[in-house]
Amino acid sequence: MPKQPMWLNVYGFVVLVLFLLGMYLGLVVSPPDASMGELIRMIYAHVAVAWVGFLAVVLAALHSMLFLWKANFKDDIRAVAHAEIALVFAGLTIASGMTWSKPTLGVFWDWDAKLTLTALLASLLVGYFIVRGLIDDPERRGRISAVVMIIVMASLPFNYMAAKWFRTLHPAKSYNVDATGLSSTMSPVFVKILLFNVVVAAMIYIYFFIQRNRIGQQEAELFEKETELDVKGDFIHV
Amino acid sequence: MSPAIELEHLSRRYGRQYIFSDVNLIVSPAKTIVLKGNNGAGKTTFLKVLSTRLRPTSGSAKVFGFDIKKEASEVRKQTAYLSVLGGNYQNLTALENLKFALKLSKVEFSKEQLLDRLEHVGLIDAKNKMVREFSSGMKKRLSIAKLISVDAKLWLLDEPFAALDSEGKNLVDDLIIRAKKEQRTVIIASHDVERSSQFADTVLSIEDGSLKLEKSLNNG
Amino acid sequence: MDDLKDALSIFKKDLLQEWRSKAVTVATVFFASIVLMVLAFALGSNDTVLKIAAPGVLWVALAFAGIISAAQSYQNELEENALEQLLLYPIARSSIFLGKLLANWFYMSLLGFILVPVTSILFKAPLGSNWWLILVVVLLGTLGFSIISSFYAALTANLRARESLLPVLMFPIVIPILQAAVKASRELMTDNNPAIVFDWLQLLIGFDLIYFVVTLAVFHFIMEE
Repeated sequence: MPKQPMWLNVYGFVVLVLFLLGMYLGLVVSPPDASMGELIRMIYAHVAVAWVGFLAVVLAALHSMLFLWKANFKDDIRAVAHAEIALVFAGLTIASGMTWSKPTLGVFWDWDAKLTLTALLASLLVGYFIVRGLIDDPERRGRISAVVMIIVMASLPFNYMAAKWFRTLHPAKSYNVDATGLSSTMSPVFVKILLFNVVVAAMIYIYFFIQRNRIGQQEAELFEKETELDVKGDFIHV
Repeated sequence: MSPAIELEHLSRRYGRQYIFSDVNLIVSPAKTIVLKGNNGAGKTTFLKVLSTRLRPTSGSAKVFGFDIKKEASEVRKQTAYLSVLGGNYQNLTALENLKFALKLSKVEFSKEQLLDRLEHVGLIDAKNKMVREFSSGMKKRLSIAKLISVDAKLWLLDEPFAALDSEGKNLVDDLIIRAKKEQRTVIIASHDVERSSQFADTVLSIEDGSLKLEKSLNNG
Repeated sequence: MDDLKDALSIFKKDLLQEWRSKAVTVATVFFASIVLMVLAFALGSNDTVLKIAAPGVLWVALAFAGIISAAQSYQNELEENALEQLLLYPIARSSIFLGKLLANWFYMSLLGFILVPVTSILFKAPLGSNWWLILVVVLLGTLGFSIISSFYAALTANLRARESLLPVLMFPIVIPILQAAVKASRELMTDNNPAIVFDWLQLLIGFDLIYFVVTLAVFHFIMEE
């Protein structure tokens, strides 16, 4: 397996440093929030992983569509890489959400719309991986899982609506997309630290994606080499 | 005359294994070809790729000039595939099965014609019996009735003699003779190489992933 | 249109098969009865509770029926490899999807039309003057559910562990459809506010349309091998 390129090592190191900086900003520099107190520090991590997680799903769906269109296995591998990271980040979102929720609301789970959506997303992604695990043939596996991912993507807005109106009797007429998790009354220092952490989370995502993609591509190359049938067929004319 | 079948570097993989690879074949129309090979060698897979049921892993294939990937529906209009498992519905009668098959095959038919076909394959007495009650030979005959009802230029027969008694096998013999007269291109995958080779212009074999020419009886 | 005719041929064939075997009918009536009875017993002491539970009970029974019917519709094609033959006819792939969808929708809504009065009576949830609206809810809700169940049944038909996989894959996707259907049904079975019902109906129509288009567009990919 080829050695990791130098620029990737440098990038990884930079991301690590920025991550530590983000932690420092969130844990030390940030003042406590007027309403949430110290728990604002959790929000930095929670919102960051939530946004990046959903971005990962969108990218997974995009590459799935590309795979169906162009039938290039590289897209299948990229879709899987995005999906794996999406699942991890969805898990982190739920964990951080629950950690925030207990001290704030007194319960671990209160059917908050966005968290419920994330939980549904996580179960959909698990379904994606189960399907992949059941198909041995690479072509078919890529195609069927791409279709699954596209439906997953299509279901997200509906699942969000369902999660939002879970406790209500009447669906809201005016539907405002408040998926940001940001309160408009947040003071600038919070917003800046939050955005910094979001960028760091995105960079971490990119790092893991590159690594996972490299591994996947090399696995695929190895697979091709191993399964190659070195026959020279006769030319038959009857 | 343009060829019935043109295969170039055709291969089909399943999982880690290539079933066949680098197949280059040109078949002129109205030829009868027997395909032999051991169990699991890939005869059925080969026929399935030609029929458009399976996609090739790489390479190109044309049936009567139509690409099997891009113009698959055109290929299907010209092709009839007799599979090993009948494809018949258990809870429908022979007549109902035949009617359904012909409707979807876009073939015009009258009730008399349907009964005529069933008569030809020896199923007239069983026309209102459920396929659930059929023997495997009877199911095969029903599939044959479907085959002869569509006017396909290419016949892909996967073990046509299997499950049939001697009368049934004679029926298949007649079928192949008639197909030759009607200038159909016929490819037969069969274990019963002796019997099927009687009519064959060419015998091909699949072995270890490649297609080989065994015998060519006529010129070209 | 030709494709529609082919779809109808497949629909009729499926109905004929079901008429003969009654496999779906027996299983769905059985499940629906169990759901209704167990929940009626569990909640039966308090009429108010029964009434509140009524729409949920209705749709739980329908959801079971929907999954069974979808799974069976592709099972029929797997004995004797009939699915392969279907894929070799000169018909559009979408006709297969449409034909089976129609069959599943038909069974599910038929069961729905029967279960509405039964549930209404057993669970003390009278329907009021806008009772016909609940039939519309049933039609639209079962349509959305059938679209998803038919699609995933086709997808899992050739996979190992398909019986357990179908509900696992479907579940998160049908939640919004079931929610809208249950809430609309609740309005009609308890509070009777048609305005709210129309809002949920609009949502259902939106779900149905979008999922129909998406699944139809990708169906042929899952049929190729």
